Amino acid sequence: MEEKAVAVLNLSKLYPRVKAVDGVSFTVDKGEIFGLLGPNGAGKTTIIRILLTLINLSSGKVFLFDVDVTKNSEKVRKMCGYVPQDVSADGDLTAYENILIYAKLYGMPGKERKTRIQEVLGYLDLTERANDMVKTFSGGMMRRLEIAQAMVNRPKVLFLDEPSIGLDPNARRIIWVLIKKLRDEFGTTIFLTTHDMNEADVLCDRIGIMNKGHLAVLGTPAQLKSTVGGDVISINSNNPACTLKVKELGYSIISDSSDGHCDIVVSNGENLIPQLLDSLKASEVQVESVSLKKPTLDDVFLKYTGARIEGEEGSFAETRRTRKAFQRFTK
Amino acid sequence: MNLGSVKRYFSSALIITELELRKIKHDQSQIWIRLIQPALWLCVYGLTMSKISGLTSFIPKGLTYLQFMTPGVLAQSALFVAIFFGITVVWERDLGLLGKLLSTPAPRSSIVLGKALSAGVRGIFQAIAIIILALILRIDIILSPLSVLGVFVITILLSMCFACLSMALASIFKTRERMMGIGQAITMPLFFASSAIYPISMMPGWLHPIAVVNPLTYVVDAMRDLLATGNLSSLPVDMLAIVLATLFFLILASRGFRRMVS
Repeated sequence: MEEKAVAVLNLSKLYPRVKAVDGVSFTVDKGEIFGLLGPNGAGKTTIIRILLTLINLSSGKVFLFDVDVTKNSEKVRKMCGYVPQDVSADGDLTAYENILIYAKLYGMPGKERKTRIQEVLGYLDLTERANDMVKTFSGGMMRRLEIAQAMVNRPKVLFLDEPSIGLDPNARRIIWVLIKKLRDEFGTTIFLTTHDMNEADVLCDRIGIMNKGHLAVLGTPAQLKSTVGGDVISINSNNPACTLKVKELGYSIISDSSDGHCDIVVSNGENLIPQLLDSLKASEVQVESVSLKKPTLDDVFLKYTGARIEGEEGSFAETRRTRKAFQRFTK
Repeated sequence: MNLGSVKRYFSSALIITELELRKIKHDQSQIWIRLIQPALWLCVYGLTMSKISGLTSFIPKGLTYLQFMTPGVLAQSALFVAIFFGITVVWERDLGLLGKLLSTPAPRSSIVLGKALSAGVRGIFQAIAIIILALILRIDIILSPLSVLGVFVITILLSMCFACLSMALASIFKTRERMMGIGQAITMPLFFASSAIYPISMMPGWLHPIAVVNPLTYVVDAMRDLLATGNLSSLPVDMLAIVLATLFFLILASRGFRRMVS
């Protein structure tokens, strides 16, 4: 069997009053961007903390590059970089010092240290602010610094807990580009959690949807979306014969009306539209407008958990933490 | 445990200390603010009490009250700095700094040791300042290289000891509000049940057993021997007691530390 970056087998974590994680199994390939998606309190952060040996598991087995996290925690921690959900850069130090301390804690030899820190500062576009106090940083810069701290050791797996929480859309996009770049250039395996559908869709190669401690479903964003049905193309025409023509062309119609409007279900809708329009034109049917609706991960989430992710209420502590993180980021 | 892992253990502890030192470097005002209280004890309480003529008959022969009290104030001010260390740790836990520290390969107890050592460094600043203050007030203290070095060593141990106690309590009580209360609830008993500002012989009888198990008693005793009386005969016993207490609380804090993030 090929070595997996992360292997989780039937993992459970019990707290006195709740089952935070309940019989979860999955693997993550080397060099993959893997995301756990779910509402607050679904057990995503608990899984990350178990993988990082910060908390003990109750039952099951967890391996990082074939190393058992319960048996050799120090070796596991050496392979990992971690960007927690909360603000974890020290505001009372400069950016350079923040990275320096972590480079030292990972046992990086003194000779390499300086070049590596400069490298990682440059990579995350922080060189100019290297000697400024971190408490003067914006939220996006703070996040970049935290990723720099986690990357200075060149970890085999980088754990990102809600990497873009509390960031404005622009800063969020910058972080996304960076995460992809890290994987593409260094082959770093990236394990992230998010409750943002869009983020999971844009970033992840594969997604596991978590709900109430269970892994509801696992797959690539495209796979998951295809399980909720294909793309829907809506065609508007003044010609009442339109529906008939579309039917003749062999498409499956889900709704139609006598005035020339019809919805069809296809896969790969964007590739199909030109072909469809050409066929209709050849049949002398004038089309007024066409629209395409692709299924979203939100539809997937709804299907597998029976709830919309936005509607889920986090615990008071979670909410407070998220808000606090947000305040710190935006002050 | 081989030599490599011992080396790594102490080097990670020193990195944590370096982190704290760099913070102090960026904000030195915290050092000055912390000097207000001991200055008040010496200048107001000390100078007032030394006017009471009967007091000198209770303290060791040949010492003025200020000589007697200076080592006590030094010990107390380092204690006050160290005992609230748990609050910092709780704060760092809440911010997420602690979780990230614990995710590094640094052994957990070396992080505790590093934090304790940085409390020691803060204590040293207190010690230096109080010695200078004593010189300004023309209090006659012994300032040989040995006594100053000895006082520094004891200050570091004392700060480590109570910082570890505070961190151990933080892993149980877990919130800043409770830790504020706890810090206040235990500093005064520790302070009053030691010979910091009056000799043990003056205490009510029921307090004696508490004074005997109070690490601060030994700290004050050792400092007084070094700075005031110059009679070092009980120093080895005092040092042993301080080292044992420090080790005990260090182990206790290390064991509790993991609970901080779970």
